[in-house]
Amino acid sequence: MNQETLPDEQALLDRFLADNRLFLGPDPEIMRDHRVGPRSDLEQTILEKGLSPHEVHHVRGLLNAALSEAFTMCNQMGAAPGAKWGDLVSGIYTARGDLAMIAPHGIIAFAACCFYPIKFIIKNWISDPTVGVRDGDGFIHNDARYGGIHNTDQSMMMPLFYHGELVCWLSTTIHEGENGACEPGGMPAAAESKYDEGIKMSPFRIVENFQLRRDLVTFLQNSVRDPKLQLEDMKVKLHAVLRLRERVISILDRFGRDVLVGTLRTHLEDVEAEVRRRIRELPDGTTRVIQFMDSSLRENVMQKISLAITVVGDRMIMDFRGSAPQFTNRAVNTNIASFKAALCTGLLQNIWPDLPHTMAVLSPIEIVTDRNSVIDAEGEMPQAMSLMPLFKACVVWTIPMNKLNFSLPQRYSATIASQYDQAATFIYGGLTQHGDVTGNFCGDINGNGQGARSNADGEHSVSPVFGFMCDTGEHEINEEDTPIIRLGAQRLARDRIGWGKYRGGLGYEQIATVRGSAMWGFMTGCEGSKFPSAQGLFAGYSCPSYQLCKIKGVNIFDVLRDTPQAIQEFDIVRLMNERPVSGARYSSVDMGMTFEICNEGELYMICQGSGGGYGDVLERDPALVMKDLAEDLMSHEIARNIYKVVYDEETLIVDEEATRKCREDYRRERTRRGRPFNEFCQDWVRTEPPAGLPYIGSWSDPAIIYAMSGGQRVTMKADQLHGVFMPNPKDVRIAELELQLAQLQRSTGGGE
Amino acid sequence: MKRVSVDIGGTFTDCFVAWNEQYAEGKALTTHQNLALGFNEALADACGQLQLEIPLLLSQADSVRYATTLGTNALIERKGPRIGALVTAGFKSTIPISRARGYGEGLPEIEQMDIPNARRPDPLVPIPMIREVRERVDYLGNVLLKLDEEDFRIRLRELVDRGAEALVVVFTNSVVNPLHELRAREIFLQECPGHLLGAVPMLLSHQVAGRKGEYARSTSVIIDAFLHQTMYYGLGTLELNLRSQGYTKPMLVSHNSGGMAQLNSTDALQTLHSGPVSGIAASEQLARQSELGNVVATDMGGTSFDIGLVVEGGVKFYDFNPVIDRWLVCVPMVHLVTLGAGGGSIARFERMFGTLEIGPQSAGSDPGPACYDRGGLEPTVTDADLVLGYLDPENYANGRIPLNPRRSKRAIAERLGPHLNMDAIEIAKLIRRTVDSNMANGISTELRTRGYDPKNFTILAYGGNGPLHACGIANALGVQAVLAPPFSSTFSACGAGNVNQMHIHELSTWTTLFHAGTRSFLSDYQGFNAAVEELERRGRDDLMRQGVAAKEVRYRLELDMRYGNQRVETAVVTDISRLGSQADVLRLIQQFHRRYGQRFGEGSQSPEAGIRINTIRVCSFVEQPTVQFTRLVPSKCKEVKPKPRLYRECHFVGEDGPEWTGVFDHEALEDGVVIAGPAMVTTRATTYLVEPGWSLRGAPQGAAWFTRERM
Repeated sequence: MNQETLPDEQALLDRFLADNRLFLGPDPEIMRDHRVGPRSDLEQTILEKGLSPHEVHHVRGLLNAALSEAFTMCNQMGAAPGAKWGDLVSGIYTARGDLAMIAPHGIIAFAACCFYPIKFIIKNWISDPTVGVRDGDGFIHNDARYGGIHNTDQSMMMPLFYHGELVCWLSTTIHEGENGACEPGGMPAAAESKYDEGIKMSPFRIVENFQLRRDLVTFLQNSVRDPKLQLEDMKVKLHAVLRLRERVISILDRFGRDVLVGTLRTHLEDVEAEVRRRIRELPDGTTRVIQFMDSSLRENVMQKISLAITVVGDRMIMDFRGSAPQFTNRAVNTNIASFKAALCTGLLQNIWPDLPHTMAVLSPIEIVTDRNSVIDAEGEMPQAMSLMPLFKACVVWTIPMNKLNFSLPQRYSATIASQYDQAATFIYGGLTQHGDVTGNFCGDINGNGQGARSNADGEHSVSPVFGFMCDTGEHEINEEDTPIIRLGAQRLARDRIGWGKYRGGLGYEQIATVRGSAMWGFMTGCEGSKFPSAQGLFAGYSCPSYQLCKIKGVNIFDVLRDTPQAIQEFDIVRLMNERPVSGARYSSVDMGMTFEICNEGELYMICQGSGGGYGDVLERDPALVMKDLAEDLMSHEIARNIYKVVYDEETLIVDEEATRKCREDYRRERTRRGRPFNEFCQDWVRTEPPAGLPYIGSWSDPAIIYAMSGGQRVTMKADQLHGVFMPNPKDVRIAELELQLAQLQRSTGGGE
Repeated sequence: MKRVSVDIGGTFTDCFVAWNEQYAEGKALTTHQNLALGFNEALADACGQLQLEIPLLLSQADSVRYATTLGTNALIERKGPRIGALVTAGFKSTIPISRARGYGEGLPEIEQMDIPNARRPDPLVPIPMIREVRERVDYLGNVLLKLDEEDFRIRLRELVDRGAEALVVVFTNSVVNPLHELRAREIFLQECPGHLLGAVPMLLSHQVAGRKGEYARSTSVIIDAFLHQTMYYGLGTLELNLRSQGYTKPMLVSHNSGGMAQLNSTDALQTLHSGPVSGIAASEQLARQSELGNVVATDMGGTSFDIGLVVEGGVKFYDFNPVIDRWLVCVPMVHLVTLGAGGGSIARFERMFGTLEIGPQSAGSDPGPACYDRGGLEPTVTDADLVLGYLDPENYANGRIPLNPRRSKRAIAERLGPHLNMDAIEIAKLIRRTVDSNMANGISTELRTRGYDPKNFTILAYGGNGPLHACGIANALGVQAVLAPPFSSTFSACGAGNVNQMHIHELSTWTTLFHAGTRSFLSDYQGFNAAVEELERRGRDDLMRQGVAAKEVRYRLELDMRYGNQRVETAVVTDISRLGSQADVLRLIQQFHRRYGQRFGEGSQSPEAGIRINTIRVCSFVEQPTVQFTRLVPSKCKEVKPKPRLYRECHFVGEDGPEWTGVFDHEALEDGVVIAGPAMVTTRATTYLVEPGWSLRGAPQGAAWFTRERM
């Protein structure tokens, strides 16, 4: 029977479906839309009546000050290392949940995805009779699937009612660290499903009448390893939001509802208009960049991120199609909302840093992806280490946008190569020397080497890719709280540089051990140990790849006490090459290390990386080469072989004429090696990825995606992606060993 | 009391003389080539008013006190010796990396955000002048790696051979156990005896800063070493100048901690920003003696707007890690926030928002505002003030700087007019309103961040442009009254004359008052008491070295406390100087609880997470006689309403047309005089602008109250 449904019946059916939803999961309608929504009726009425831009600007200043105050409170009161070293934000949103403004110093991405849970609350809880949204309520959330960078960040969101009317939303977010995941510290690379990620808070009310509910607080404390931190920072976020609320109410008292509502909306529209103006200034055309993530943090596998930026008039389209498919059981996925938040961050951090920090920055930009790709993952996939693709998103702008920007009469900042884009820090967990259970990460994440500029070398370890004025901290103070002892604390990593006419800023070595704990361990969530992370610009070199080095089976404190001369320098290269402690086990592995126990005095050594270089190395001023030598940033070998400078190694006096000749010779050598482009392509281009390479993503055709299944290469259509399931590395290793054992037994004539 | 106090600023040298019951102010341009010349001129100015000869005054003065920007200028100009740094093995890049954020310290926010253009400042210790030494001490002071003395000797020699003119030693956790740093100096004295030509100074980090934090302590000791020679000779020259004119007592130097000391007990680092801090000290004195209650001290000059807080009840606001020029350091400095809002702040059109932005760029004094006629083309706050009729072109800065109003009008009309579609007058009003709002916003943020309401504070407005913008700031802030304090044009110099001889000593500690895990309270009273006693001893020794008797020394104990693992360290001034029982511990906890709740909101405290003391700080001081401020209540019995000297057409924010505005001379600031706005009072140093709806009431000692008459 094919009977047409009558409108009344349809309404009933719709009502039934709406009333009988099994689970209010992440809502694609919310999560896939990064644009500023249309004006509400109220906003329309206010803006039609007109507001003075000068008064709006005045109120904007007051809001900024209020947000800054809330930020400072979190920063000062926060117990999480992330709060102490700047990984937090406070924000204000329109009544419909559009992010209008964030605190000047905050982490943009946190707020740039916090509007998603607010929109979820608006859509689902306001009219739900069992929940509702009332004055004095506060909502907590950490599950990035509802909006967020990763589940280690927790947000407090509060509706602000004025004379009974909801006029805006307020939030504070802190990178808390510990969240009860399968590994301590909140970013479990070992997570194989979302159920390994620890506590997953969809947005729910935890504050009533401006007070935390103790029953729910207890539930959350019971769900994490560090109940003290959980309690302290919930109070911190609540009271910072309350302070912000107080300030906004005083603005409302003084200027009235219409001015506040109009200011928030005008701010969004002003910024969006400015972004469109800037896009219009760019030449029409398409520029491209390809990035690779070389690890799932469990195994080495090349994952492609492909981007083409097209500008047509005031439209900008970012096309990421052809990127790698999502993993079913690896933590390096991200959902599209988080990815866009990171894009917003990167645009502000690298290209247009003078723009206000609001979602309106990204709103006019169209973003195209393949669903179920590693940057647009959906379903039950884990995404605890979403930082891997998100950090790529932060720096993905530099190459294509600098090409578009380069010849413009007005640029808004420097032309810059990619910053080192890895979370090169120790994540830790265990018992402190004071007997407290803890899990978190170190502030060293905030010191990525900067890309070189068109007019200057990059700054050494200047900031993370996701924020400015962040802090790597003081080790003397850190050592009070945790048993981690730094024997190498932020030592610039000699020779590990993105070379160029201007070189990238260097990263630093970190040598950590532990003392005074009954149980302690580290993990590191980094890629770039096989394939360089930071790309150079206009002939500049990429940074090198960086390894995790370990010296196990030793108590370094005994060595320092008993044979202090054994170790002459806390330098990773020397320690690994000279192997000064006999009997110890030395190893060098990739930086994707899941949690492992560090016994007292064992050494774990990693490196923050260098930014990419800019321009041809042969154009580098020899004086700058000598300066780098004088500062012991590189070896003579590099000066001679890369930069082709002739000089006296004792005095560092350059032989200008010999250098000119050496460089000319080398240019001729390059010319001799050079081949016509088509000829080069004929030899170089392959129809598909090399057979032995673990590779996922498109090759030459973005519509066809290469992936792996059961260790075998497979292909799939980009518009029909499904997740890649990886075998357990231990199983793989067991199989390898069993094979070797079988071979050995065969070769020796033995049997099973 | 016969006292001379001096504030040597970037532009002016201010002098304040307290001669028994008489007070006199002197002013002169700062003579950077020889500070003594400017000082002599300013002193002569003051002496003229007292009808005294300089030698007579100096020979009878009981003290001469200096607050000076000498160090700040030397730092900005990078005038200092080549420094070598000896640091713990593994820490050689701590100084150049500067906690990553070092690129942006001391810069306006908009420049901090511009990461692609980030540039760290030129280093005070270049990388080739840093050497690692094999040693390591842990956070409790345990030696993990014994100092390798031979290694130290080699590194020391390398730095000396590289031309080090001063040396600093920064070993980790030396504030807990200074053994290695002290031994390093012994070796240094063996290797480089002080009596030899070419001997260089060596500074130890734990002696400059007593708190943990290897980077901030490094920059502290480096800046100290960098400025040592310059300050030594600069201040020495000033002392010689005094000696040659009959002064025989030790010269005293103001500190940024709000105290002062003799030259022989002063670190160079302690003198930085001592001028503005002296203004806050004067505000504190004024608030107490004149019963003003809580006070916000504001100083608006040519390039910046300084804000400081004085709160009743002895609460002190310090920056424990202040930024000096471009470096984060580790000394307790009286809290002072500086906004880029002064007369020279440039107004520009902000395309994105269709309105004006003021600052942080400043035209400074060279070329200065457009009206200075020195080539400045950008419109500034001073240009707006001139266009609106508030400034007398002939008598600006006591006639030192002639102003050209046509330049101002042109700069405003040409640079901003086409964008804003407004005439020059309206734009000037917008500039003024914007800059006043920015300053009010700064004050509001400062207060509210610390849990205070601006309505409970009296605003003091001093500095060259303070009284000119007082009403505008008050309007934006919504407060009813502003006080232009006595001696407002030399207020900081006056403050330098009022501070006590004081020394602050700190100690990093790990003292748990309440342990969350074991739910137990501190029982080791002896450890705490011994630490306080040791800090008191150090302060007492400092003062006794300067001739103070031990019995005159007073102490103030401050504890930086925190809940759980917070970063915040809320300073609690406590009267519990020794612990003797659990009741004392509980009382301390309660004091912290109150202080914390006041600052961050009641209910925000987390005692259940544990309570710790991180720093013990003892201020040792000796109280001395001060300039006496009277109660600054305008006399009603002799209320007079004088006639203006002339009238001028002025324009005001919120008023449509021009207002015919009376202009008064400085005599109008006498006690009891009431002037209704709109009006202006011009003095040698500044202009008091009384906006419509406000009145100005003269008060004792040349103070004046701006009072709101209508909303």
